[in-house]
Amino acid sequence: MTDTKRPREPFAPWDRRSLPGLFDVEETAERIGHYKWVEMKLFEALGGWVATVPELDVKLRLGTHCYHHAWHADLFDKRLPELREMKTERLTVPANDQLVAFFEAMTEPEDATMTIEKLVGVYRVLIPHKIAAYTYHRNATSEITDMPTVRILDFILQDEFNDWREGEMLIQSMIETEAEVERAMNHQLKLEKLMLAAGGIAGPGSIGDPYVEMPEEN
Amino acid sequence: MPEVSVTPESFEMVFYDSAVIGEVVAEVAERLGIDEAISLEIDEQSPLGRSKITSYDPIELWVDGGALENTQRPRQFGKARSRDTIGRLLIRIMDRRSGRFDDAPADEDLDLNQFAAWDAHCVGRLERLGIGGQQKRRQYQFRNRHGFTDVADAAFTQLWDSSELSWTEIERISEECRTS
Amino acid sequence: MRKIFPAEELARDARFIRQTNEQRLSDPRGTRVAGGNASEQLAKLTPGLANGPDRARALMHGIFVGEIQALEGAGRTCWDFEVGEDVPFELKLDMARQCWDEARHCEISVSLADHMGTELGEFAENGLLYEAACNPDPVLRLTGVNRALEGLAIDVFNTMKEFGNLAGDPVLEFCEDWMLADEVTHVKMGSDWLRRLTENDKERLEKALEFQKVVDRLFSFNGFRGEDDDSPIQLTRRFRELAGFSDDEIDEIADMSREARAEAPS
Repeated sequence: MTDTKRPREPFAPWDRRSLPGLFDVEETAERIGHYKWVEMKLFEALGGWVATVPELDVKLRLGTHCYHHAWHADLFDKRLPELREMKTERLTVPANDQLVAFFEAMTEPEDATMTIEKLVGVYRVLIPHKIAAYTYHRNATSEITDMPTVRILDFILQDEFNDWREGEMLIQSMIETEAEVERAMNHQLKLEKLMLAAGGIAGPGSIGDPYVEMPEEN
Repeated sequence: MPEVSVTPESFEMVFYDSAVIGEVVAEVAERLGIDEAISLEIDEQSPLGRSKITSYDPIELWVDGGALENTQRPRQFGKARSRDTIGRLLIRIMDRRSGRFDDAPADEDLDLNQFAAWDAHCVGRLERLGIGGQQKRRQYQFRNRHGFTDVADAAFTQLWDSSELSWTEIERISEECRTS
Repeated sequence: MRKIFPAEELARDARFIRQTNEQRLSDPRGTRVAGGNASEQLAKLTPGLANGPDRARALMHGIFVGEIQALEGAGRTCWDFEVGEDVPFELKLDMARQCWDEARHCEISVSLADHMGTELGEFAENGLLYEAACNPDPVLRLTGVNRALEGLAIDVFNTMKEFGNLAGDPVLEFCEDWMLADEVTHVKMGSDWLRRLTENDKERLEKALEFQKVVDRLFSFNGFRGEDDDSPIQLTRRFRELAGFSDDEIDEIADMSREARAEAPS
């Protein structure tokens, strides 16, 4: 018979989640608003590009991934009121003007011959930055007080990794000449510089700050 | 090269050239070893793909304009499609003349199953001669008449791969699918 | 990337050949529909027809290119309109969802085309569906695409499902049933958004319904889709009701098909 009166710890021995987190409610809401804005801009662009790419496999993947990012935007949108932001559109804004410039440059290619540029912008620049920012947030926030965000980010990161892998494979399959390698790299370089200026998808501090202040010499 | 007469000589509804059509018919006939006069009547009004043999001797063929049409470019002549259509008709004439089909019912008495089975055998041979093909298309037609089963698929393969079956053998293969 | 992407620039590989509307309408032999021809004696599309399997094959190719254009249209609705100014956020989410569904439908219809022995690009493509998806008013666009064209898709898929059932083709029947479920969802999306976005705008509602009629009429093709026993594509009342069509609306489509049929050249 199970002894139902025998006390157990509220946290099992293997559950090492801790209470403190780096973000308070307000900062979390702001970051989530930025994430939602990024996801919206991404799914809109993917949807728009479908008609412009002649490669059938790319066309179908963009259509599929379009929904993934719309779903992410929806998840973030639903999280905002739980963070005391009832007018979700108020926080659905870009982190800064540089990020707007990044998206303008990323969505500029339209011609049917520019599939490589379209894919590079999303899968070699934006999605890796999203994965970095979401991973930082997921690991830095309180796993107890902000578990709903952690759960959302876990779902989203799973999509991001899968989509990144598919997108990267499409890029690799499309690059057949040295000139195409250069096209891909040049476009990546241009967009990376813009992303650097933005400081990441949530602005400066998107993935925290790894540097420490030098202590004064004795 | 066999002599080919095409009716009509000019077309109003489709962009066909009777001289080009005649060349394609003659080319297919030559590859099949037919060296006699062929007359081909075309109903340009119909974009459907019907075709039939109106006379076995002399050779007289009738087709819808659609049976010679490029499916990618409506109203334009399609060489590959025409080879397939004409090839099927001519190889049926050769079968009927071979003595192996003496017990076959007249064309108008054949049912859809019998036609599908004979077609599979005709087109399989044509493909090996480099005329026509579309094996999966023919298999789909065959399955519609004989069932979407392993038995029907094996029967189709036998019909497609065989070189010179008799009508009795074709009928037996078709019949076995229906009774299985 | 521009807003409103023109139909004539839809990106395709070399296998696909586009037939313009002028070419299609100027064919003196009549309009090609469901792998047959509008001017021929009408007959319900069944495996029992001598050319039934070939017509189904051609129709499946038409479904495939229709799915590509539906995907492109839904994708453009995600891009062409601004949230807040033009459309609600939730409408765009629905369109993104539709993108995924249409991408799956492309995958399904490519596989089905292969199953039926059809090569991609074997038949001419016309861009009529996408053209309806270029309307600059999102309400009209959604009504034309999601209610008229996706409504037609309900009828086509149900006819193909029955074709598969009659032919004993489990693959076709299974796939069409799944696509049919998605189409009912898409038509319902169109019905719901039409109602919500025109709640206080009767004039816009009327314009949208009029646009739907125009699209429905364009795709009536001499009445090939209808309720008569010999209509090649059967109008599907039950699924249309599930998708938010009223009895009166379904009657109207049936009447339109009958009129188109009566006016068709014999």
